[in-house]
Parts: sequence; C-alpha cells; structure tokens
Amino acid sequence: MSRLVVSNLSINRAELPVVTSVDLIAESGAISVVLGANGAGKTTLLEGLSGVIPVAGGTIAIDGRALQKARPGARSREGLAHVEQGRTVFRQLTTEENLRVSLHPGADIGEAYALFPELVQRRTVKASLLSGGEQQMLVIARALLTRPKVLLIDEMSAGLAPVIVTRLMTAVRKLADDGLAVVLVEQFAALALSIGNRAYVMRRGRVVYDGDCAKLRQSPGELHRLYLGGTETCRPDG
Amino acid sequence: MSGRTMRSGADLDRPFPDWEKMNALLTSAVAGLTAGGTYALLGVCAVFTYRLVAVVNFTGASIGAAVTFVLIALFEAGFPIWPSVLAGIAAGTLTGVAIGYIMTRWFGEASASTKAAVTVALLVGLIAVGLRLTGGQHPHNMPELFPGSAFRLAGVEVTIASVLTIGLAVLFTILSDLFLNRTKVGLNLRALADRPMAAELLGVRVQLLSLLVWGMTGAFTTFALMIIAPQRSPNFMTLSLLVVPALAAALIGLFRSFWWTLAGGIALGIVEGLASSIESVSQYRGAIPFLVVLAVLLWSQREARWDEAR
Repeated sequence: MSRLVVSNLSINRAELPVVTSVDLIAESGAISVVLGANGAGKTTLLEGLSGVIPVAGGTIAIDGRALQKARPGARSREGLAHVEQGRTVFRQLTTEENLRVSLHPGADIGEAYALFPELVQRRTVKASLLSGGEQQMLVIARALLTRPKVLLIDEMSAGLAPVIVTRLMTAVRKLADDGLAVVLVEQFAALALSIGNRAYVMRRGRVVYDGDCAKLRQSPGELHRLYLGGTETCRPDG
Repeated sequence: MSGRTMRSGADLDRPFPDWEKMNALLTSAVAGLTAGGTYALLGVCAVFTYRLVAVVNFTGASIGAAVTFVLIALFEAGFPIWPSVLAGIAAGTLTGVAIGYIMTRWFGEASASTKAAVTVALLVGLIAVGLRLTGGQHPHNMPELFPGSAFRLAGVEVTIASVLTIGLAVLFTILSDLFLNRTKVGLNLRALADRPMAAELLGVRVQLLSLLVWGMTGAFTTFALMIIAPQRSPNFMTLSLLVVPALAAALIGLFRSFWWTLAGGIALGIVEGLASSIESVSQYRGAIPFLVVLAVLLWSQREARWDEAR
C-alpha cells in the first residue's frame, strides 16, 4: 500500500502564487480526480508534485519519504510518475524505443502491450507518426514501465475523440484496480468523476472541495457552483 | 570510338598534357585529405553534441586549441610529451564538462538558438583569452605527436598524422553510431535530446548523461587538435576557427547523419585542396566552407520556396 501525502503545498510562477496551501492524498487502488476551470492551478499542482517547477512551501511525501526538494529524476526513482499534458512522446524514437527508455529492471515491456494491445502493431513506427490516441496510450504505458507507486496524469483527454477518451479512462481505472495510486487532472469532469474515488476541485489555486467523487457526480449543480463561485472550502467527508 | 586525336610515334613517349593536369589535381586532392579528416572529426563531434544535448556547439575547436597550447607550454617547459598529452586530454575533458555544466545548469530548457548563442559567446571569450595568453597569432613550435610519412599517394607523402586523423574520424563515427543505436545509454541520450524534461521525469539521469557527452567530445576534439596542430598554422585563432568548416561538414549531414558528416568533411578538405591548385580561385579557398553552408541552407529550404511559388 503506497500513499502520496501533500500538505500545505504552495507553488509560485514568476513569483506570483498559483497554488496556495493545497492538501491532497492519493492512495493505492484509488483515483484522486483534480477538477477546476482553466487557470485554476491544476497543471501547476502536478508540475510542482513531480518537480518540473520548484515548490515555494509545504511538503510532498510518498510512504513518509519527503520529496519536495528532490529533482524530477529522483522523484521518479522514488515511485512518482508524471504523464504531462501534450503527449510528450520522444518523436524520433519508435514506439518500442519509447517504452525501453523507461523500462525499470523489474518491469517487462509486455505489461505495456497488455494494457494497450493497440500499440503492438505500431511497435516499429516512429512515435511522431502515431495518432493522438496512440501517443497518449504510449506515454501512459511508458510511465507504467518505471514501476511507479503514484501516477500523475494531466489532461489526457485533450484533443481526443470521445471513444478514445473512454478507452483511456478504462485503462486508468484498471491501473488503479491493480494497486496504483492515481492523481488525474481532467477537464471532462463527468467522465473523470465516473472512474474516480476522491475528488478535489480547485479554484484560483486553492482546493475548494475535497470529497467523494460519487457524491459530486450526483449533484451537477454543486459542481457548477464550485467551478464558478462560492467562498468556503467544502469537505463533505470531513 | 572516342573523339581523342591519334598521336604519332614520336609523341608517344610524352605524357598527355591532360594527364599532367589530372595528376596535379589528384596531388592537390590528396594533400587536402589531412584538412578533410580534421573537418570530418570536428564535424562528427558537433553532430554528436547536437543530437544528444541539442546544442550547436561553437566551442569544440577552441577547447581543443586551448588545451593544445597547454601542451605546447608544457613541452616548451621541458615536460615529456606523452604525459603532457594525457594531461591535455584530461584538461580537454574537464573543460568540456565545465561548459556542459553551464549549459545544463542554466540553459537546460532554453531554445536551440539561445544555446547556440551561449556557445558563440563562450567561443568569443575563449578566443580573446587564448590570444592574450598565447601571444596573439605568433606561431609556436608545436611538437609532432606522430611524425613521418605513412605512404605515398599520387606523388604526395601522406603523413601518419593525416591517416590517424581520418582514422579517428571514422572510428568516432562508427562508435557514435553503435553507441546511439545499440546501447541503453545511447537510447536514453536520444530521448534526452528530444525532450529533456520528459526523459528526466522517467528517471533518466539527465545531467550526468549530458556531462558525459560534453566530456567525450571534449576529449576527442582535444586529441584531434593535438595531432593536426603541427600541420596547420599553430596559432590560437586559426585552430579555433576550424569550427567553421566543421559546422559546414555537420550541415552536410544535416546535423543528423554521422556518415554524411564524415563524407562531407573529407570532401570539403579535398575541394579545398583542389582549389589551392587552381590559380584563379586558390586565394578564395578559405571561403569554400561558407559557400557550402549557404548551398546546404538554400537546398534545405527548397521545399518551402517551392510551396510558396505554387
């Protein structure tokens, strides 16, 4: 059982606060969904967690090991994998070479193809020539082969057809069911809430809702209010 | 039947005037091999750096030049030659690593043009300091590491140093190709060159690998410059500006192909040699790399121009 615990995290961009005092937990077997309007600070939060940008304050720990001062590579080796937005495949490498870059000594490349059999027949194709959906599958599979404890996924549905988004969501749910802790940042709120366990809604860099995904999914009006207004932080389950 | 005129018996003892010209050109071409090997080796090092750390490096030759002058100073001070060479290669490696540290620490996420501009600035700085410390463009007495002739070709003595320079260029090309395409470290370096942050997020030791690349190219260029310095005008400026034909060779390989860069560098040296034997163009032979750069850039833009014309 692995556990990512984020406490009182603050992140600045160009010395301006973008994420302020965020608390977040991600546990093995569960998907923590982070929602919010554009500019709410969701991507900045993930970039701070993985070390792409430095944090201004607070703590990040996996299984009690503090990571907030470690470089991105060190955080990865501690079990934190980050699937960035924008499908960051290595364009000049083939599908298989992309997977081999991240291959942990204890992992098998077959795990990636088992998760996304669509990639098998594209193994010798340059990643730049894959479709958007295949590229998204590749970056998720590539992250999986680092043997992560916690998987951060940023906006994986952007620019993809609904049928592909549903396929990806199913795969992410399976990863969580297999024991991974997942933090999923997503614009398609309804779809994300349907596979998630715990929801966080961010507005202007702060968490304004921290609770059960199912409850939020059943009250679209509440979600709408959280996106657009309201002042107090809601923590339905305490 | 060719159009050649039949010759009388008395003329048969004399060679064809055309053959004499051909022989002179061949001699010049062979003489250009030494320079060609140098351009090829430095060009392949430039491609290696560009493909692996995404930097068009203008400092390669000047690092080699700086260390070569350290070797000259040690030699003139009475130090034995080979320990001085080893010390020089170590210094070249460390200088490469130091420049690599600057590039990865402060310019890791900068654009390719910014990184290139930084290396141009470093080149200018190195030349300024180098000229000051080495006494401007006054030639020095450079010890020959590999003196003597290897063989004679088309009436030209091909020196051991020339053969070694070309051999080193071929060896570096083969090793680079194998290293990048057959090893896990090479694969990681190719990923790193494409997307440094994505590679780091997968646990690739980005900084360590980048410094390895800078160190390797520093060592190779330093050794190459030490070999070829006695065969060229051994002053700091001349050696540092070898970067121009080297980058022209790299451009022939479009900064991707090691083999095209190798061939391009050698061809450039041969063309320079040929130009030196033609009186009307010999004084302009130094401009040949610039013409090659211009031609390759125009060639590479042909599709855009064609699209625009349509």
